[in-house]
Amino acid sequence: MLSYILRRLVATLPVMAIVALFVFSLLYIAPGDPAVVIAGDQASPEDVERIRQSLGLDRPFLIQFGSWVWRILHGDLGTSIFTNLPVSTMIGQRLGPTLSLMIVTLLLTIVVAVPLGVIAAWKAGSFIDRAIMGFAVFGFSLPVFVVGYMLAYIFALRLEWLPVQGYTPLTEGFWPWLENLILPAVALGCVYIALVARITRAAMLEVLQQDYIRTAKAKGLGQGGILFIHALKNAAVPIVTVIGIGIALLIGGAVVTESVFAIPGLGRLTIDAILRRDYPVIQGIVLLFSFVYVLVNLMIDVTYTLVDPRIRY
Amino acid sequence: MDRRSVLKGLAGASGLALTGGLSAPAIAQGAAARTLRFVPQANLANFDPIWGTQYVVRNAAAMVWDTLYGIDSSFQPQRQMVESEEVTDDGTTWTFKLRPGLKFHDGEPVRSKDVVASLNRWAARDPMGLMLKAIQQELTAVDDRTFKWVLKQPYPKMLFALGKNNSPCAFIMPERIAQTDPFKQISDYVGSGPLKFVKGEWVPGAKAVFEKFTDYVPRQEKPSWLAGGKQVMIDRVEWVIMPDPATAAAALQNGEVDWWENPIADLVPVLKNNKNISVDIGDPLGNIGSFRMNFLYPPFNNVKARRAVLMALSQEDYMRSIVGDDNSLWKALPSFFTPDTPLYTELGGDILKGKRDLNAAKKLLAESGYSGEPVTCLVAQDQPITKAMGDVTADLLKKLGMNVDFVATDWGTVGARRALKTPPGQGGWNMFHTWHAGADCVNPAPYTAIRANGDKAWFGWPTSEATEKEVTSWFEAKNLDEEKAAIGRLNKAAMDDVVYAPTGFFLSYTAWRKNVSGVAKGPVPLFWGVSKSA
Repeated sequence: MLSYILRRLVATLPVMAIVALFVFSLLYIAPGDPAVVIAGDQASPEDVERIRQSLGLDRPFLIQFGSWVWRILHGDLGTSIFTNLPVSTMIGQRLGPTLSLMIVTLLLTIVVAVPLGVIAAWKAGSFIDRAIMGFAVFGFSLPVFVVGYMLAYIFALRLEWLPVQGYTPLTEGFWPWLENLILPAVALGCVYIALVARITRAAMLEVLQQDYIRTAKAKGLGQGGILFIHALKNAAVPIVTVIGIGIALLIGGAVVTESVFAIPGLGRLTIDAILRRDYPVIQGIVLLFSFVYVLVNLMIDVTYTLVDPRIRY
Repeated sequence: MDRRSVLKGLAGASGLALTGGLSAPAIAQGAAARTLRFVPQANLANFDPIWGTQYVVRNAAAMVWDTLYGIDSSFQPQRQMVESEEVTDDGTTWTFKLRPGLKFHDGEPVRSKDVVASLNRWAARDPMGLMLKAIQQELTAVDDRTFKWVLKQPYPKMLFALGKNNSPCAFIMPERIAQTDPFKQISDYVGSGPLKFVKGEWVPGAKAVFEKFTDYVPRQEKPSWLAGGKQVMIDRVEWVIMPDPATAAAALQNGEVDWWENPIADLVPVLKNNKNISVDIGDPLGNIGSFRMNFLYPPFNNVKARRAVLMALSQEDYMRSIVGDDNSLWKALPSFFTPDTPLYTELGGDILKGKRDLNAAKKLLAESGYSGEPVTCLVAQDQPITKAMGDVTADLLKKLGMNVDFVATDWGTVGARRALKTPPGQGGWNMFHTWHAGADCVNPAPYTAIRANGDKAWFGWPTSEATEKEVTSWFEAKNLDEEKAAIGRLNKAAMDDVVYAPTGFFLSYTAWRKNVSGVAKGPVPLFWGVSKSA
């Protein structure tokens, strides 16, 4: 298993390199110029050109890419064109809020979606099942920003229970940290909860029709034991898969959620960097996200062996 | 006990277990009252007011770096860091003396050598600075508090140049920082202004923090825009960046922020209905909407085509697309200059007045020889103001019978593409939309957009000898009457040749919580004189 994990980790390097080359090329051919944004609206073309030169943006593609790769190999993600801050510092500043948002959303999803899916499967065809699946369709259909505005209006503006925006690090207290994350996590989690609940229901329905479940029932085992000990464990592989794949959804959704709730996370940093053509920052974030994806996939594969001992690598 | 306290208590109890006892620090009421949370117009993505010239950078820089002079609300340059100045009778030698006791945030005194280095860096990037540099004989430090600027010919607008508030302003930095190449960004943000920048708390895109500089010695005069006594009444200003206007509005209503620089027009009625919020015009100099036509290629290389568009356009359509139904927020503008400022004139602006004549415009367009070629209209749709104006223009051009190639893209792309001088079919363009801060349009000195010196002019590269002649006349004017006469002629010449198309004058609101007092109108957000109660 350890050698498998190591092999998979090593295999991430070419994946990340290809993704980086793709993104770098895409940005290079895309219209837009960071020097123009930096120089401001009143700048002359000469000013813009001088800024381009000072940033090295006038150099050929291969030289720019080569120099970036060289820096990466030396552990340097480069410096932001706009802020003059190291990209690693900027990512470091933004990692905490995004991770916090993802963790809270993930926990919320598991706590809410899995039981809902199990209950829906258990009560398949009943009003409860239809209500849960109706909620799932509703949650899946509503855009994150619509849910976000609704939540902010109700719970922040009208009831004044929670703040509208911002992020407080965990080091400043659990409640200040959590109160800023509740509304964004619910907004972001709606789609995710709906997805996981539907998959859980489908997987559970399949398992609940198996012979060993009938045997367990015949032996007189209680509903809880059947559902959560026998059935859920055997339905876990697709659930784990969708939870893992859903992390991609979370990253995408975080971009919108972080804007709506003014959370200074990686999503907002990505959008800002793309709009300004801040190439080093975009490249750094893409590398990080690529690594996260690969890592999540690896964790899913490893988790399979835990929930299903028949799986071996 | 309210519901929020119950939630807080429950979370606190569970949090205690999870974090090993970490808890929220109690923020004293007084500390909260001494911190002003401000939502700026845009993200402070960099912080070098000479290298990058965005307004938001200028606004932050005005807190941290002081200027030798400051323009007051009468548009007059007043002494700021300078104690006195002398100019020789021939107008070529200026000797300035600094105020005693000026200090940088690192504790070092402000010396003449710092000023000389700062002015050199500024002059390499600023249009007025470049003019000064072109006629400069020497700029030297005489002693620690005195410096001398010797010119080859008089420059009557010297004090305006040193005090003007359009980017880049002549901010004074320590010599070690000011020696940075003007095309490279500084990373040390030490100034001598009334507030210090807290670099360690800067999260670009999210937060910028400024603290009161306790060693700052304000002037004794009443504050007026960037002139006078800059008395800071709060300990700390936090800029909270909010990309989403709805969130900013909600945060202001909730009391999570204290002041929002420019709420969008759609949300102003909501804010006005809140008894805890004050709403007023922020910058009385407002903005001038514009679109520029490319003088290099057909159809707009022909003045008749440009005049046809001007003759047909309705400024009301443009302004309503930006500000909606609020009539107090806009004015028709048969001029290139900011209304209600000393040099404002409507001379020559008749083409923008009266009933719009589409038929006459069509006739004029036909006379220009327009034969249906596509007109590439660039629009930055990520900027609501330009997008709205672009839609109106597209409709106008179609009504005129023009073949519109409407290119709606992002600002980064428009900014890059408008710099291309290639023909429209080969990556170039025929027109693009923007707007100019009214503060930049009070006279020709900061007004890049009015210049019409061909290749050296701003995008669109207008050529109008008559316009340029009057720009020179204004620079050489010796008194207000001469200035006014020159501006009148300039306005007429620029209107005749259609240097660009003004789409109207518009204002925007600013909004703040009622426990904040002292918010003053001005071309930049002014933090001195502002206080906050609990």
